[in-house]
Amino acid sequence: MAEMILEVSHLTICREGSTVVDDVSFSLEAESDTALVGPNGAGKSTLVQAILGVLPRRSGQVRVLGHSLGARGQLPAAVRDQLAYLPQSIALRGRFPLSVAEFVGLGWERAGLALPWRGGRARRAAVALALAKVGGEALADRLVSDLSTGQLKRALLAFCVVRPRRLLVLDEAQAGLDSRAAEQFHGLLFDLRRSEGWTILQVSHDLDMVRRTCSGVLCLNRSLRCSGTPDHALSPAQLERLYGRGWVSYHHHHPGASRG
Amino acid sequence: MLDSGLDPAHLAQLLALPFMQRALVAGLLTGLLGGVLGSVAVLRQLSFFSDALGHSALLGISLGILSGLNPTLVLIPFAVLFALGVNQLAGRSQLPTDALLNIVYSSSLALAVLLLSRVRSYKGGIQQLLFGDILGVSWLDLGVILLLLIAAGGYLLLTRRSQILLTIDEPLAISRGVAAGWHRMVFIVVLAVVVAISIKAVGVLLISAFVVIPACASRLVSRSFGTYVLVAALLGAGCAVVGLLASGLFDLPSGPSVVVVQLLGFLLALLLAPLSRVARP
Repeated sequence: MAEMILEVSHLTICREGSTVVDDVSFSLEAESDTALVGPNGAGKSTLVQAILGVLPRRSGQVRVLGHSLGARGQLPAAVRDQLAYLPQSIALRGRFPLSVAEFVGLGWERAGLALPWRGGRARRAAVALALAKVGGEALADRLVSDLSTGQLKRALLAFCVVRPRRLLVLDEAQAGLDSRAAEQFHGLLFDLRRSEGWTILQVSHDLDMVRRTCSGVLCLNRSLRCSGTPDHALSPAQLERLYGRGWVSYHHHHPGASRG
Repeated sequence: MLDSGLDPAHLAQLLALPFMQRALVAGLLTGLLGGVLGSVAVLRQLSFFSDALGHSALLGISLGILSGLNPTLVLIPFAVLFALGVNQLAGRSQLPTDALLNIVYSSSLALAVLLLSRVRSYKGGIQQLLFGDILGVSWLDLGVILLLLIAAGGYLLLTRRSQILLTIDEPLAISRGVAAGWHRMVFIVVLAVVVAISIKAVGVLLISAFVVIPACASRLVSRSFGTYVLVAALLGAGCAVVGLLASGLFDLPSGPSVVVVQLLGFLLALLLAPLSRVARP
């Protein structure tokens, strides 16, 4: 049997009195790439944040690499180290005096108390390698607040890749990128997934990309509506059930074959 | 007899005075402390928090005077309670934090003035509470500030990773295992204690300048987090020493002199900021 990286069972999440995620169960095999799709307000980001321990859950269980996520989002530090999260965006207000190399270094550091100079040479080497892997060597001395959206995504990917990880959770990673930049970003992500052996869970609105690159799909609209391979879960009939009538015909005529 | 004005003999006379020596050390330590804590506080949008706390502290001081206890002893628990209260309130309320802080600090200020108006025997005078009395700092006060500087500096050094991650993005920080709620609260309490301790020297009206101005000046010119904190601390300490010397030499009130020097530092940083943008390898 394949190793399970993430197991979610009967997860229910409430926010401000109403149930936004209802009794969701699924699990992710090692090195799978699974997309979480669904209409706006379906609870995708909420689900992802509950899995990370950012939001509290009402009931249900989350197990990451076989370790239970505590009620207040606690995981052993050794498990946390192998889990990375790439948010939709980070809202930096005004000039933020933190260089990209320092930021990536924070991804390398482990949880807990430590003096700033700990790790010195090993950290610098890991940061340089991570930036090289994402093609961001030139960004090292830039300020994080000076980066364009595309450059910031690269910096965030470097933050993930700076230490070996098992599970990568992405929340609409393509948001804010134009189609060319989104294409580049997914190419990079696809390569890194294979070379690093990552298991990926990604919230996505780009169904064409999901069809091309993902191995599995979870369709969420408060509860899990269907799941399976992209061919099955993203069939016109399933999409109509998920998004409602009228949406499917519009999106289905996208020329998905325009790239080689 | 003391002369006034800028000549070496006068400066030497001034530096020989024990209260002036204490004032300079107090200014140096308070400036360092304000710069270091301010560099995180400013990024975390807590500038107004330190201002509101400074104003509210007047209520703590009045309670101390009224109860006959040492005002500083009353002020520290008062500041901690204020910080915890505001932290809770901001987390639960649907109102914006700046509006909440405004309500809390203007009502504290009003209560404080009402209380003080009942105390006829109070000799210190409200002027000293408002603008501080750095020349009246004792060796004991200096010891307390030094201890606080070591504690706050150590705390920030050891939790640096958590502090920066939390300032960038809370979900990102939590996903890396940072106990966000806990760190947020501890930082606010530390900031509150620092403000409370520094009030004796700087006064309730200008204390927030010590937290905000050096950090903002440094933010304009720094190209990494390490230099940012270092420049803020040095700027805080340097401006305090220069301001106090100027205040002694020209017989000016001490707190405002320091803040004017900080302002000059900030304006200088504003001029230098474009240079630090283009300077890129």
